Amino acid sequence: MTTTSIADPMSPATTTIPVGPLHVALEEPMYFRIDISGERVAHVGINAGHVHRGIEYLATKRTLIQNVVLTERICSLCSNSHPEAFAMAAEEIGGIEVPERGKYLRVIAAEVKRVASHLFNVAILAHLVGYDALFMHVMQVREIAQDLKEGVFGNRMDLGAICIGGARYDLDEETTALLRSSLDKLEPEIAEIEKTYRTNGSILRRTRDVGVLANSDAIACGVVGPVARASGVDYDVRREAPYHVYDRMPVEVKTRQDGDVWSRAMIRLHEARNAISIIRRCLDTLPTGPVNVGEKPDVPAGRAVARSEAPRGELIYFLKTGDSEQPERLKWRVPSFMNWDALTFMMRDAKVADIAIIVNSIDPCVSCTER
Amino acid sequence: MSSQIAILIAVLLFPGGLFALALGLGLKGADRRIAARLQGRVGPPLVQPFLDLVKLAFKRTMVPTTAHDLVFLGAPLIGVVSMLVAAALVPISGVYSPAPALGNLLVLIYLLLVPAVVLMLAGSSSSSPYGAIGFSREMALMMAYEAPLVLIVAAVAVRTGMAQGHWVTFSLTEIVEYQRTHGLFLLDPVMWPAVAAFGFFYPANLGIVPFDIPEAETEVLEGPLLEYSGPALGLFKIMSALKAVVVIGLDIALFMPLPLDGVPAFLGWVVEMVVLMVAGVTVLRISMGRMRIDQAFVFFLRWPLLLAAASLAVVVV
Repeated sequence: MTTTSIADPMSPATTTIPVGPLHVALEEPMYFRIDISGERVAHVGINAGHVHRGIEYLATKRTLIQNVVLTERICSLCSNSHPEAFAMAAEEIGGIEVPERGKYLRVIAAEVKRVASHLFNVAILAHLVGYDALFMHVMQVREIAQDLKEGVFGNRMDLGAICIGGARYDLDEETTALLRSSLDKLEPEIAEIEKTYRTNGSILRRTRDVGVLANSDAIACGVVGPVARASGVDYDVRREAPYHVYDRMPVEVKTRQDGDVWSRAMIRLHEARNAISIIRRCLDTLPTGPVNVGEKPDVPAGRAVARSEAPRGELIYFLKTGDSEQPERLKWRVPSFMNWDALTFMMRDAKVADIAIIVNSIDPCVSCTER
Repeated sequence: MSSQIAILIAVLLFPGGLFALALGLGLKGADRRIAARLQGRVGPPLVQPFLDLVKLAFKRTMVPTTAHDLVFLGAPLIGVVSMLVAAALVPISGVYSPAPALGNLLVLIYLLLVPAVVLMLAGSSSSSPYGAIGFSREMALMMAYEAPLVLIVAAVAVRTGMAQGHWVTFSLTEIVEYQRTHGLFLLDPVMWPAVAAFGFFYPANLGIVPFDIPEAETEVLEGPLLEYSGPALGLFKIMSALKAVVVIGLDIALFMPLPLDGVPAFLGWVVEMVVLMVAGVTVLRISMGRMRIDQAFVFFLRWPLLLAAASLAVVVV
């Protein structure tokens, strides 16, 4: 534990306060060593590595099929994106063509997770500014997405929707109807939440012009996902390098120029709404046929890189296979790793009260980053 | 001798002491329950604040090795004692009026600031950096709501005093008596700005959203209270429950004492308490987010100060 110096709060000298690794405002263990003078942040030191679980090593001890299950357990909020990108890399090596219906089902799973993930982050923002009624409301709306996941996939967090060579689930009439009715319930609610975040004084007061990440800093840090798009970086893997059937989907990539906490929240809400249109398009144009290529597709020795747009941004997987069933190397770069360093820029001259709000605004996923 | 016993009873049993504590905890329980219902949750049982106290009573108080023991443990005691006396100073129209020997409105105003000072002491003696931030925030907030409070009280004191032929009166009994015979200040348009200003003051004094800045859980982890545990934390909870009764009781005495007597007066007073708690605390705190300390400071120097000054100016002129 780092020593903390206790200074007179009225003196201009800086005081060091620890934020984390255990802190009510942080959902996961991170450690920020923050020097403050009065209420102003003078310096931020970020320290990671509290929940290292050795998953990259573990992945080389498991077969490719087992790794689909393992990668799904790296993180709960982007639990679909990890096996998705992993399977894409394996398919690239094996030259496996995923059946059309499987691609559509993968998009549906990814977008359902996106809705739930974004709503979760936006809800936490309300909690952090002390607006608990809004927090409860957004979480209740998210509950519709959770019930949807439970109904269609059988689980509320880990969907188990991906396998190498396609999707591991299929939609029948009943689950399609459930999907459609849940989307019909979700859409007006999300539009309402978006309106609240756009107009509510309590939210605006605490998020406008807070934690600003300028466009040039965003590019210098290489931030991805909603954080990048809120700072005017027009980049989304679903559009730049369409995978599955995203080239046929109504993917709206919205950018904002302000780069503050509020812009990031608004980008997320917009993407949650956009995800609903994408799922609807999938359901409307869902082809018939097999959902995957069979039980154990052959993956020869080779190496491949795959990337997908996780809720937090671009997720990159590198897979190197050898002659055995276990991969020789599996490595992934998660969006939070890229967005992490931008926190230093966002916290420049921030107020102590805004630290938690700024940290939450990059939607940090520590379990992804420190696997 | 008998007057001293009466004062002791007022401080320890009714309307201060046990009664005020039970009422305060009941108000807190109602607040939590109603807030939960408004947010679509079930919420804790009404007696949850009592249960919390019982639980804390059986726990150990941990004192950080770097803390100043005497101040750290003394602070909550000072807070509770000041609020016990303050609760005995608040008149209940038609039921109870405080003995002049106990003190008047001015004493009450000073006592009302003791909890804030105690929290500052607690924060700075705990040697936690969060406590230190809580300290500076508590200080800033206190300075912000102090000025409007003085103006509000002055408006009421001058209004009553001038009507009775002298300049001011600081006797709460007189203020209540005047309203009983001449109509409530709540119904007097001249006093409306002061009533509104008091409406801003009490969430700040009680430390609830949007003014729970010194203890903001998601920012400074309860600030001054971070290092407290067991009975010492329980004392802070008692202090805060008593403070709710004192502040809302003061609001009732200043602006809306019911012109009733005996049991109906008492019941009416309790109803007023609950209504003010729900309207001014519960509904407010669930319908807003927290302000930042600089925003709250500017807010208080603008609206409540202006409103209170307006009332005072009209009253004096």
